[in-house]
Amino acid sequence: MKTLNKFAHINAKSVEEAVAALQKGKSAINAGGTDLLGTLRFEILPAYPDVLINLKTIQGLEYIKEEGGMLKIGALTKLHDIAGNPMVKSRYTALAQAASSVGSPHIREMGTLGGNLCQMTRCWYFRKEDNRFFCLRKGGKTCYAMSGENRYHSIFGAVKACLAVNPSDTAPAVVALDGKIKTSKRLIEAEKFWDMAVPGSTVLALDEIVIEIQIPSPAPDAKSGFVKFALRKSIDFPIVNCAAATGKGNARICLNAVYNKPYRAIKAEEAIRGKKIDADSADAAGAAAVADARVLPGEKNKWKIPIAKAMVKRALLACA
Amino acid sequence: MPDKTQKDKEEISQEGLGPISRRDFAIGSVAILGVTGSDGASKVLAQTPGKAAGQALADSRAITAQPASDSARSIKLTVNGWKYEIKVEPEAVLRDVLREQLGFLSVKDMCNGYGACGSCTVIVNGRPVLSCMTLACECDGVTIETAEGVATANPKLIDAYVLNHCMQCGYCTPGFVVTAKALLDRNPMPKETEIREALGGNICRCGTYPQHILAVQEASSGK
Repeated sequence: MKTLNKFAHINAKSVEEAVAALQKGKSAINAGGTDLLGTLRFEILPAYPDVLINLKTIQGLEYIKEEGGMLKIGALTKLHDIAGNPMVKSRYTALAQAASSVGSPHIREMGTLGGNLCQMTRCWYFRKEDNRFFCLRKGGKTCYAMSGENRYHSIFGAVKACLAVNPSDTAPAVVALDGKIKTSKRLIEAEKFWDMAVPGSTVLALDEIVIEIQIPSPAPDAKSGFVKFALRKSIDFPIVNCAAATGKGNARICLNAVYNKPYRAIKAEEAIRGKKIDADSADAAGAAAVADARVLPGEKNKWKIPIAKAMVKRALLACA
Repeated sequence: MPDKTQKDKEEISQEGLGPISRRDFAIGSVAILGVTGSDGASKVLAQTPGKAAGQALADSRAITAQPASDSARSIKLTVNGWKYEIKVEPEAVLRDVLREQLGFLSVKDMCNGYGACGSCTVIVNGRPVLSCMTLACECDGVTIETAEGVATANPKLIDAYVLNHCMQCGYCTPGFVVTAKALLDRNPMPKETEIREALGGNICRCGTYPQHILAVQEASSGK
């Protein structure tokens, strides 16, 4: 196993201390570490941090509570604990199901909700060892997936010419449940949290840290569900996943791993509005969700479209 | 730490490994490291009862112990009940420290550090985690259990693993055993689906998966 290159290490005692350390530049923050350490070990990014800032030593960022009409989860809360929390399971089902489908049991014991929401793309050009492909997402000029192997890439087009998809399982659940993400600077609506960044996948500033995830308490008739299609059941990233939340005749549906950021399926939401959810109406909503889907030249990612359609259908049926 | 049972000793000598197990060898090595590390590389607070043969073998291992640099940080660990105070570099991962510095040879590395195989699993404060994705310097004060510790803490599980032929090449086995132990600690009577889910992050190239379920069921208090 390759050893990591040298870096200095800070155990941050507070959010302020971590932010101050980030402001000095050439640094990275570590929560669960399940993604970061691999990224450093294989030197996938052109820049290697001088300083690693450990967030786990900050007290009071690991909690699950209902307060003021909303669910609040600390950014350092482990995915395993969210997946197993009875209150999250019964009232915020999609989030518990999404958390329970991330990676492997070990990854969930280490990985945090904040980290899962902020994780970087799995695009194999981006992830190739030793920064082999200096792609758009790293500050380069080329998206290698455009003319290369793009069977796992976006079915809704590129963002700033990048075809990579967002791999998070919990992200669509937080969007479907109309959540908000509290950072060290502001409160961001979940839907506006992701964007193409270099490198990264969020709108976070370089010195901004996720503190808390907030989700409004569901209405009495509300239901939610999460489904995932992956090649391996026990440990894998999604090929396509989908979360749906219903209530008061409306639905919020969010696909992920189909686009540069979590993809809210507005057309599917319109298709199901006011209707009773059954196999036919859910199927129609699935078809509406992929009405705008575009196959990339070469049609290598064509297979993802019927999967996305089926995921929307199944996520809705989980709320029936 | 309780000593090896007579039964274990008999089993080991029957298997032709001789009187010194890999665990004794590892423990002996640690004792020597404590001495050779007097320059500050590592210090063992609770001296382990290293056996003569283990100590003789340990000289070769001591060479691999790197003297600590200025950037090294002192941490305290409890591994399988033993207390250590060692110096680690900020970039050292827990897997390398446990295996290379402390001699816990059960901590493997199959997937080359992608966090994808579970063979480096250790229990840290009750959670089964990937030691290849854990920085050692972030583990100050934690309690760790490796497969060596599971052998004494839950011999029933190890027996069940042997009796159910859970290994072919055996390389992934310590990771499985540690994960299974963590499951049984939390859930002494797991259902089959729960066992399958808990072991889902441990990958076996030989394909011994069905046997692990039988072994964990046998070791659970429900049977």
